[in-house]
Formats: sequence, structure tokens, C-alpha cells
Amino acid sequence: MTRNLVVIGAGMASGRALEHLTDTAPDDWSITLFNAEPRGNYNRIMLSPVLSGEKSYAEIVTHDDGWYEERGIACRFGEKVQRIDRDRKVVVGEHGEVPYDKLILATGSSPFIIPCPGHDLPGVIAYRDLDDTNAMIEASGMQGAKAVVIGGGLLGLEAAAGLRLRGMEVTVLHLAGHLMERQLDEAAGYLLQKDLESRGITVRTGASTKEIVGEDRVEAVRLEDGTELPADLVVMAVGIRPAVQLAKESGLATGKGIHVDDAMITSDEDILAVGECIEHRGAIFGLVAPLYDQAKVAAQTLIGEAAEFRQKQLSTKLKVTGVDLFSAGDFADGEGREDIVYRDPARGVYKRLVIEDDRLIGAVMYGDTADGNWFFGLIKDGEDVSEMRETLIFGPAYQGGGATADPLAAVAALPADAEICGCNGVCKGRIVEAIEGGATSLADVKATTKASASCGTCTGLVEQVLAATLGDDFAMPTAQPICGCTELTHEDVRRLIKARELKSQPAVWQELGWSTPNGCHVCRPAVNFYLLADWPLEYADDPQSRFVNERKHANIQKDGTFSVVPRMWGGITTPQELRAIADAAEKYDVPTVKVTGGQRIDLLGVKGEDLPKIWGDLNAAGLVSGHAYSKGLRTVKTCVGTDHCRFGTQDSTGLGVKLEKRLWGSWTPHKVKMAVSGCPRNCAEATCKDVGIVCVDSGFEIGVGGAAGMDVKEVEPLVKVATEDEAIEWTVAFVQLYREHGKYLDRPYKWLAKVGLPWVQETLGDAETRAALVARFDLSQSVYQKDPWAEHATPEAERTFAPLADLTLEAAE
Amino acid sequence: MDAAVQTKTFVEVSEVWVPEGDTLRLSGGDYGPMRAFEEASRRTSFARGEGLPGRAWAEGKPIVLKGFDGSYFKRTEAAKAAGLTSAVAIPVFAGKSLKAVLVTLCADDDTCTGAIEVWTEAEGLLMLDDGYYGAAKHFEWVSQHTHFPKGQGLPGGVWASGTPTLMRDLGSGYRFIRADSAGKAGLTTGLGLPVPRPGGETCVLTLLSARGTPIARRFEIWDARAAKVGSRGGAVLIDGLCEREGPLWTDDTQEEPRRVAAWQGAIGRVLGSGVPLAEPATQAAGHGYASLVALPIFRGDEMAFVVAWYC
Amino acid sequence: MSWIDLGAIDDVPERGARIVRTRAGCVALFRTGPEEVFAASNTCPHKGGPLSEGIVHGRKVTCPLHNWVFDLETGEAEGADDGRIATYPVRLEGGRILIDGDALAVGRAA
Repeated sequence: MTRNLVVIGAGMASGRALEHLTDTAPDDWSITLFNAEPRGNYNRIMLSPVLSGEKSYAEIVTHDDGWYEERGIACRFGEKVQRIDRDRKVVVGEHGEVPYDKLILATGSSPFIIPCPGHDLPGVIAYRDLDDTNAMIEASGMQGAKAVVIGGGLLGLEAAAGLRLRGMEVTVLHLAGHLMERQLDEAAGYLLQKDLESRGITVRTGASTKEIVGEDRVEAVRLEDGTELPADLVVMAVGIRPAVQLAKESGLATGKGIHVDDAMITSDEDILAVGECIEHRGAIFGLVAPLYDQAKVAAQTLIGEAAEFRQKQLSTKLKVTGVDLFSAGDFADGEGREDIVYRDPARGVYKRLVIEDDRLIGAVMYGDTADGNWFFGLIKDGEDVSEMRETLIFGPAYQGGGATADPLAAVAALPADAEICGCNGVCKGRIVEAIEGGATSLADVKATTKASASCGTCTGLVEQVLAATLGDDFAMPTAQPICGCTELTHEDVRRLIKARELKSQPAVWQELGWSTPNGCHVCRPAVNFYLLADWPLEYADDPQSRFVNERKHANIQKDGTFSVVPRMWGGITTPQELRAIADAAEKYDVPTVKVTGGQRIDLLGVKGEDLPKIWGDLNAAGLVSGHAYSKGLRTVKTCVGTDHCRFGTQDSTGLGVKLEKRLWGSWTPHKVKMAVSGCPRNCAEATCKDVGIVCVDSGFEIGVGGAAGMDVKEVEPLVKVATEDEAIEWTVAFVQLYREHGKYLDRPYKWLAKVGLPWVQETLGDAETRAALVARFDLSQSVYQKDPWAEHATPEAERTFAPLADLTLEAAE
Repeated sequence: MDAAVQTKTFVEVSEVWVPEGDTLRLSGGDYGPMRAFEEASRRTSFARGEGLPGRAWAEGKPIVLKGFDGSYFKRTEAAKAAGLTSAVAIPVFAGKSLKAVLVTLCADDDTCTGAIEVWTEAEGLLMLDDGYYGAAKHFEWVSQHTHFPKGQGLPGGVWASGTPTLMRDLGSGYRFIRADSAGKAGLTTGLGLPVPRPGGETCVLTLLSARGTPIARRFEIWDARAAKVGSRGGAVLIDGLCEREGPLWTDDTQEEPRRVAAWQGAIGRVLGSGVPLAEPATQAAGHGYASLVALPIFRGDEMAFVVAWYC
Repeated sequence: MSWIDLGAIDDVPERGARIVRTRAGCVALFRTGPEEVFAASNTCPHKGGPLSEGIVHGRKVTCPLHNWVFDLETGEAEGADDGRIATYPVRLEGGRILIDGDALAVGRAA
């Protein structure tokens, strides 16, 4: 058996009530809906963005025609209800009567209009519904139009911001000392005012309107102090009053609003009321949350379920794009109340919490509202906050150990379908699957899923998934910071030095937040290298950031003596050079003279203080440092090539010498050894070098990434080129690419394993890129290709290698 | 619905260039069927100041280039072969450091309407720095003769609030400041973005989309500011429009806004990496659209927003 | 105390070191800041590495041979390494480095 329900007013409260009712008891009611506005229910709290143009009306419609039709609701939109005949239980509309068994009044509220002279002039608009909104939009279309908004509350300010966005000159008049005084304290009100003023809105607080001036329509607003503000549009937004007239005329009990009990029933048991028109236990309502609660209670009452409406704490937000404010509860000063205030002027952040009896009773936030709902929850629940009093203002992240700040926890919390590797479209679930299937390392995951196999941006993330899945069985490898001085990895630091143009060590320490004053033996040499590799002209190499071998330009031996290795270009020497070496070995009592694997001669056991002298002697014979100690080019080993060898296909020795002359002196992430073999028989062992060139009849095969140390690795083919010049260009470009991208102390083969040969080939394959790399290398060489022996074989330098003082000669007393 | 998907789009190609040292390299892009142009792009790189992307980097603001012949554009031949005639390069700076340059390329013809505009500050007003308008010539003229104080209009609003903003119904009865002309040009939706410059100033980029040749069929604005999302990180969807799904915002008094974590999906990748995306979209990531562009917006060194558009 | 003048502070590079020969063995002077110098034994107790050749960072030095790190204020090795180097009082006066001769003598006696 269906009963007749009539609803007067299609607003948000009644709309929600109808939703509940038609969802739970779809066939019990025959419903008629009256609305004075010629349209159905829309989300009124979103009118402000419609005013500003940031939403369209279509988007805020909550119930369209189809919705009413589906539910069989008879809509009488645009029809005013003239009266309610409670005796006959009929509602009398303009176009006829409708009988009811139950009636819901949802007549909403009317804007409060200040009864000053001129308040009824055309151009004075209250801000309540879509028609008001459209009228304002219409008014804003006039070029250079001016608006005065009376009322600096929620609605007034949203109107002001919207009109401003529409292009109007806007002034807000507010009677109280600060904006939104019911929701904000003075400090937050001040910040809000500054924010609005920065949008070109004029705000006058303490402004009392005396009169609205105009002949046929509004022309100006005159204040009590005599100020006259020209206006083409005046918006009244000073408050609302429950619309009680119909209820009152029908003989229902009313006060400020229509009196209802906890079940939303008025003084007539067949008439309910919800929304802004009601008065419940002395309170009236303007915000949406309690309206929805009322709607639910009303629907339950109609269905016959016992339900009670309870007033709750409310929170407020202002819908002005770019303004973040949040207010909840009670924040007036009072005895027994204490404040916790946090300010960050630079960020425009203000937060204030009000505590009474160990409970949070109010919160105001401006500029940072992220924790608003959490505070609101504490207020609503009346939770005892004494335990977290000290850190309360910092929000939930600081409570209970801050587990949310742990990146691993964040990764662990990701859903299985979260995409981890964008390049290859690999989601977390797939990686977890791989791990559960036995993958225990990044390499395993890469091999089985392709995750992080392309650009590598997600490497850290894949490792976190590994860590989160395997727990203690997984040791994070590459996301390791360089050292204890920083949380950044080598890759981070390299990237940041380039990206943020950090050109000095202090800039790195400061800008990247180093925790030590000037790094340590781990990070400082790396940073020194990165700086000099990226900024050869701007940054000067710092000897104090180099390991002793590079500072002393000689290899320290385990007894504290040094070894000295002169350069022999491509392994070629002369009798004069050999004679000079022999002389030096004798003169400085060099205990061991050894031929190295890199085709040169090593003098081992030279005393530190003799170094400048022996360098000077060798220099005089035309020998320069072999950099046998440096992270740089060591040797270019060659075979004799076409000059002497019957198998030789090219002048391998000549190419080796050219390469060595071009590349010597450059600093690289780690040492670089090269070789050039004149034919595929490969006498110079080119295939296990960092760069190895094998000459063939048709040109030169360049291989890279070989190793013959703790790891033994054959080179991978980089490219084959036809001419010697190309071979040199490719080699130089490769070295420069390694200089610019390699991690400090990664040999080329390790670097290649990270970036992948294809990337290197692709990068160097571009002629322009290659030329640019060569140009940057040459630029760097213009600074760094200097023989350190020549530089240090001076009396000046010699002095720094000697003790500062010798106290053994002085008397002990 | 399918018919809608097949309509011509305003932007033909979107691509992302990332700095490596002092060179910009292609990190990704959506070239549609223009394989040859894609190939040419992959082979190219730009030094700072070189070509369009390098220029955007060097000047620290978006650059509009109309007509490639005789310009500094490096891929003129390939672009010509692909029918591309104009381009806009948008640099993404985090503080002073360049994260990437997003380049969109358009093909001129009489039916293509839309606008990509760059507004910069001069004497306290936003003036049109440059813009690409396709066939919307009158609107172009109007725009050249319009300026915006802080808080006014889409550019002025974005400028004042520092927040990406999506405007609806540009040309209808609603009074978009240039509404009359916008309406005649068929412009419907405007996306305004603050584009921070390395020197600290902000300029504003606006994408004005027309129904017939839309810049996008779906727009999203994600707020990633700590002041909004708190210590949980990630981002929340604060506004959006979609031809298929309708409005994408939620009334947050009723419903939690959509949220993504860093690295979760396409938006998450932008959040995590700080680098824009432009790529052919998978079914899931693209919400049914074929391509997506997602652009991070920084405030100082911190990522504040991600805007995405789908076509 | 008897203060012995060892030389000008600018003869020691910042974040660097120089040695002084004494009858107690080599003492290293570490310049940790523009106006800050420490004196300590030059010899690492681990394998005898010359500490003056190590990298000076903060108020610490790292041995060039095996990366033991010593706190120059206390002489103690850091972290898991167990060892100590002798330290000597120094002071700066008018840009000159002065070392406490008595302490050096004690060092020799000990």
C-alpha cells in the first residue's frame, strides 16, 4: 500500500532524504516534490565555483530529470506552494492541490538583507541560488564593472573571489574586525585577508554599510564613516534566516526556525522538516554535514525506524582556489583553555589548536590543512590528547612512531596493480610474483619482469619492493647513500650537481644538506671529481680531496715510500729516456726497477721528499708523469702494427700514441686502461681493456668495458669505424660520457653494466652528441692536461713535500 | 562515444625531453602514427639554448613557435614531412633546476581550433607573451589586446593563486573574460597552469580546448602539496573533467577525493620521478583514451601539482 | 709549558697536513679549518700508515692505507676500529703554529 508523501523544497537536505527513502522503501511512497526554483536539486555548496567559472552548472546537478523520473517522483518545479491545509492534509500549489499522508518541509533559508536605504535597488543581489549566481555572472560581463560584497563570511568571500576571477573590481565590506570571525581567529583572518588582497580584492574590515545609493539601479555603497564606494553590483552575504513563513502560516511551532524533535518531526506528527529551515534544540544549521544527517533521520522516521538527530561539531573550508583554510570546533579564548600555536611565516602557515580538559576542542589551520580531518576527528571523538600534547600540532605522522614516514612502509602499502616500471609496464604484483618465484636481487627481477630494465628510474623502487617482500633477506644495494655524511646516492649527487649547478664543494655541502662540515674520505674525493668533471672551468681541483696517490702524483707503497712511473707513449721509448731513467734510479737509490704490464718502467721505493727532485730530473730528459697512480688514463698499450709486423693491418702504435697524447691527464671516475692491437691476433691484449681497439683491414673495431682485475671480462663491441680519426673521436667521446655519468670508483665495465651498452651506443651514435662530448672533453683538457711533475718539480713544491719543521735537531729542553 | 574519439585533436605530438648534463634527450613521447618524426626526434638532442626545447630551457619559460621554416627549430624537415607546423615547449623547473621540457606539436589547418597561450608579467600585469591559436584568428587578436591583473580571468586567477585551474563553459553565457570571441571560436574548456621560472617569477600557460578539435577529452588536476596531502604523500584529485565520466571532482565533505601514491600508475610515476609523461596510454592508464600527458608543477623545489590531459 | 714555533699556519693547506720531525717520531699537523690546527702522531697504529697523507675532514683524518678514521681531538679511532694516536697541544699565535714541547717530551718518555 503506497502512501502519499509531499516534499516542499528540492534542496540538498530533502534531496538526500529522498535518496534514502527511494533506496530503502522504493514502492512504499507516492512522492510529489514542489520547488519554487524551476529546477531540481543541485549541490548548492558548489555554486561558488560555478560563479567563478571553475565548475559548470551541469556538473553540480545532483538529481537530474531522469533521476526523478526513475523514482516516479512527481515534480512541481517552479510552482510556489500557497498553503498547507493540515485539516484536509493537502498541499495547495499554484496549479492545484496534492494530498499527503506525510509532508516534509525543506523550505531552506532566505538571505538576510540589511534593511538600509537602497537595499531594494536593482543590482543588489543576495547570494543564495543559481539565479543569483547567474545574475552575478551577467553583471560581471560588463567591462570594468565594480562589485561590493557586503559580508566577509564564507559565502561573501567565495562570491568576491568568483567575481574577481570573472574580471570585476571587488571590494569586501565586513563589519567585524577580521574576516570569517565565526570560523577563524584573528591571525588566520589576517592571513586570509592578505591572500585575498593579493588577488586584487579590496577588503575593508570594521566597515558598516549606511546606505546603497542609486537612481534606477545601484551606483554606490555609502559607509557609516562617509566613504562612498562606486558599485555596479552589490552582493549581500551577511547571513541567512530559516524560511519559516509557510510553516508559521500553517500553524506549526516555529522560533528562529521550524521546531523539530530528534526524529525531525514538527509540532504536527505528520509533518517533518529538514535542512536550513529548522530549529533543533535551539540551533539552526547552515553547513551541509548536519543537513545530511537530518535527511537520513527523516527518511528513517518515515520508514518507521527509530532514529535520532544529534548535533555534532562542524568543520569549515573555504572554496577559493589556492586558499587552504580549515576550521573546526570552538576556538574562542577562555579560562582553562590552552593554545598550541604553530607559525611558519615563510610558507604562510598558521595552525592553532585549542585544548580544554585534555581534549581538543578547536582547530584553526591556514596554509596547511593536510591534517585538518585528523584534528576534526579528535574534536568529534573527544579523545584524551594529553599523551600526545607535545607533538599534537605536527599531526598524525608524529604520533605512534611515525611509521608512515618510512618509505618502505609506503611501498609495502602499494596495491598489487600499482605500476612500478613505467617503461615496461610492470606493476608491483608482477614483481612480487617474481620474488615469490625465487628472484632475490634486482638483476633477477630485471631478468624475469623487465622492471627497471630500461631507463632505470624505478630501480630504487624495485629494490624497495624487494626489501618489503623479502624482509631481512634482502640487503638494499644501490640506494645506499654515498656515506654517512648524506642520504643521497652517488647518482643523486651527480644529478643535483648538474641540475642545480653546484660549482663548489661548499655549495654541495650546503645545498644538498651534508651533515658534516666538509665531507669525509668517502664522499669528498667523489664530489671533487664530479665537480671538476662537470664544471672544468668554474671549479678548481682540490688536492686535499684526493687520495694520497693523486695528491702526491705517485703510488704510496706499504712502507710509506712511493713508486714513480714515467709515461712512455704507446710503450715507445728511446735510449735517452732509458738512460735518464737509469740515472735517476741510481741517484735516488731506487731499490726496485720493474717493467710494468702497461709497457713502461716503474721505479719503486722512492722516498716522499725525493719525489720533486726525481720528477725534475726525469722531466729534464723529456719524460712526464705516467699517471700510474690516478683515476685517469693510465696507459695505451700497443703492438708494433704495420711498421714492423707482417700481420699488422693498421698503424696500431701510431694510433696508440695519438690516443695517449689526446687523453693523458684527464680525470675519470676510475682508472682507464687502453690498448690498440694491429690485427685480430691481438698482441696488445686489447680485448680486456676499458677501451680496446683492434685494427682490421677495413678499419677499427672499438670494444669497451673489458676488465682484467678481480673481474675478468672481455670488451663488448662499441662500434666499428673506417678511419683513425673516427676511432679517436669515438674513444674520446666514450671517455667523456663515462666522465659525465660514471659513479666515482666504478670502472667503465661497471658503469656500462648500469647504463647498458645500447644506451651508450645510441648516445654516441648521434654525430652531434659525439662532437659535443669531444668538445667538452677538449675543454676540460685545456685545464687539466698538465704534467704534474713539471708543476711540482719546483723549489716551492719541494718545500711542501718536506717536513714543516725538524725538531730532532733542537735540544730537548 | 567512438565517433567522439575519432575527431581530430588539436595537438598531434607530445614529447618529453630531459636534461642529461647540459644536453636534452628524448625520454618519451606520443607521436601517434608519425613514426618518421619520432625516429628523427630520437636521434636528436639539444644543448641549452639550442632548438625549441633548448630555447625553453635557456629562457626559462614556455616558448611558442609558429612556422618552422628558417627558425631555430632543428627537426624542420621531419616535422614538415609529418605535417607539423607549430610547437610549444614548456620547461619544467624545480627551483632553478630543469627537470624536463614538454613539447607539443600541432598541425595547422583551417579546422583546428584551440589555443595554447603563454602569459608573462610586465609591470604588474599579465600580458600575452605568445600563443598558438590554430584557426582561431579573431580570438588570437583579442587575446593579444587583453591583459590580466592579478586575480582576474583564467590567467590572472592562476597567477594569483599559484594553482592550476580548470575553467568551464568558456564561450557560453558564462563570462569568461574573452567569452564572446571564445564562444565564436568554439572554445569550451580552459586549463591554466602556473609555470614557475628559474628566477622565481611565474608565468601562466593556458590550454583552451574547443569541442571540435579538443586539446584533450579528459583533464585532471592533482594536488601533491604536503600542505594538502600531509605525510602520507601522494596526491589527491582536486578537479577534473572527462567526456566519458563527466566531472572528476568530488564534494570532499561527502567523499574522499581520489588519491594516488607515488609510483602508482601514470600520475604516480610523475609524482615519483618529477618528470612529465607523454605517452600512448594503455587502456587502464588512459581511462579509455589513446594518449596522455602529465605535467608536474613545482613550487620551489617541491612538487605541488600534477596536471594531466588525455586525448 | 714550552711552546715551540713550527711555522706559519698557511704552510699547512686547509683540510691538509704537514709533518714535523721530532725525537718522538713524526708528528703530523692537521689543519681542519682556517684557524684550526691539531697535532697528532703521524703513524697509524694499525699498519703504520702516514696519517698526514690521509684525507682531513671535519676534525678527523682518514688513514690513507686502510681508511681508519681518527678523531683529532681525542686521538681515538672511530667505529669498530680499536686504536689511538697520541695527540699534542698546539696553539695559534699571530698566524704561527706553536706546539707544546713538554708534551712532545712526555710522548717520547712514554
